[in-house]
Amino acid sequence: MKFEKKQVVWAYIFLLPSLIGIAVFYVIPYIMCVYSSFVSKGSFAGLDNYIKLFQNKAFLYALRNTVIFTAVAIPLLMIISFLIAKFLASFKKISAFFRSAYLMPIVIPAASLIYVWQLLFDDYGVVNNLLSSLGIDTVQFFSSGFSMVMIIIIYIWKNCGFCVILFTAGLANLPKSVHESAYLEGAGGFKTTIKITLPLITPTTFFVFLMAVINSFRMFRESFSLFGTYPNENIYFLQNFINNNYNNFNYPQLSSSAIVMSLIFIGLMLIFFLYERKSDYLE
Amino acid sequence: MKKKLQIKAILKYTLLIILTVIFLFPVVYMIISSFMSGKEVIDMLDFTTGSYASLKLFPEDFSLEQYYKVFFRNSKYLSEFWNSVIITLPTVIGQLVVSSLAAFAFGKLKFPGRDKIFFVYMILLILPIQVTLVPSYFMYQKINLLNNVMSIILPGTFSAFGICLLRQSVRYVSDTSIEAARVDGASYIRIFFQIILPQIRGGLISLALLTFVDTWGVVEQPLIYFTDKAKYPLSVSLSASTANIDIVFACGVMFMIPALIIYFLGEKDVRSSFSRI
Repeated sequence: MKFEKKQVVWAYIFLLPSLIGIAVFYVIPYIMCVYSSFVSKGSFAGLDNYIKLFQNKAFLYALRNTVIFTAVAIPLLMIISFLIAKFLASFKKISAFFRSAYLMPIVIPAASLIYVWQLLFDDYGVVNNLLSSLGIDTVQFFSSGFSMVMIIIIYIWKNCGFCVILFTAGLANLPKSVHESAYLEGAGGFKTTIKITLPLITPTTFFVFLMAVINSFRMFRESFSLFGTYPNENIYFLQNFINNNYNNFNYPQLSSSAIVMSLIFIGLMLIFFLYERKSDYLE
Repeated sequence: MKKKLQIKAILKYTLLIILTVIFLFPVVYMIISSFMSGKEVIDMLDFTTGSYASLKLFPEDFSLEQYYKVFFRNSKYLSEFWNSVIITLPTVIGQLVVSSLAAFAFGKLKFPGRDKIFFVYMILLILPIQVTLVPSYFMYQKINLLNNVMSIILPGTFSAFGICLLRQSVRYVSDTSIEAARVDGASYIRIFFQIILPQIRGGLISLALLTFVDTWGVVEQPLIYFTDKAKYPLSVSLSASTANIDIVFACGVMFMIPALIIYFLGEKDVRSSFSRI
């Protein structure tokens, strides 16, 4: 590839503020974190911190819960949003009101809604009121395995509309002829979706995935507001673990768990990159 | 046949309405509850009576008590609201400036290492905030940024998120208009201001909105960087353990209004810009 000298110089000028800022506020702290994950009591400790980490029961809980949340909530969010987007696309004309309504949850800051969730999901809340009047066993959302269900529901509620808008936009950009010719060749609706629509909207899917992952970290805000510093073991996430080790001044554990957490998500990202290399997101 | 189509249409619209209600309900309910009296809210959120809570679609007696208390009785919430403003506004502006400049470079200019640098940006984007939170704390301690709003504004300004979002908008700007401007002898600065910026307006508004919402709801950073509780933004003190329960809904409404205003002002651009991702 040949570069035009003037263009290269200007590109770096435009990029400079961001490069400096990214280096100072993201790269340096990350390197510091990697460094301190190998240090204990002021001396190099090799993998000791990591070994201790994986012997720590609280960490294993946190790791398990984070993996469960990520593995369930993100695909679920993406599938539901895609289906709703397909559903909306099936209307010939649809009022802008509906799409605005769907975008609303992501605009509302987490803290505003905490009490509504509490009213709905408390042991004596509205959902249990409904369940008991239907004669079904009530559910303890705040102190059982259902806490995870509740957090996943809130996550999907909050982010679904935004992902629907993204998918809707992606679907709208598809050429109509693609579907028609597939249909003429006798491919059914489901088959067309899997074989033709999905590969064509890979860039959109990738962006939705990215947003889903970024926003899954932000669920800690809801979790923290609803459950406080010490939530029950079912929704004790890596973020809680890191937070609590900060409060206990246990930096070796903190940094090594932070590195493990970041490796999980970098790995996830690399897998997705391999999958979408066919599309031009990173050409 | 016709009847079958009609039934299908009715089912479809019913589903559409149900979905819409699900998305809107929590927000609407918060607004309704903000017009309840303090006592009514306390009763509603009291789960210790042994009977189940139920939804109240109308306040028993319409009251502005919560708003009165928030605005006139206790300056705490207003000053926290202001704390949120002085963290959020500079972050949004900073993020817009830094991201649009870099997005132009990534989206339209050719330079060595471009795709590798962008890849690093994407990796950094996917790092959870908790990873860099504590190392940053030590760094801020050294450079005296603790208890300073800059400790939240600066990382927000340089977040790679905006670059990722705007790069897509920039790539939709036609190459021919840029080429033509180059042939006419326009500088890259002029191209940026006169060709790129006007055409990525929708992307900029979306970014402003998303950055606003994110920074406005900031919880983790102030808890760690601010030892001075008077500097806490509203988002921190609205978390369940500390808030005064009798005015929470009015606080919540006050808290979401700025985001809603930006949303409704830029709504059309926001939706159209997403069609370019």
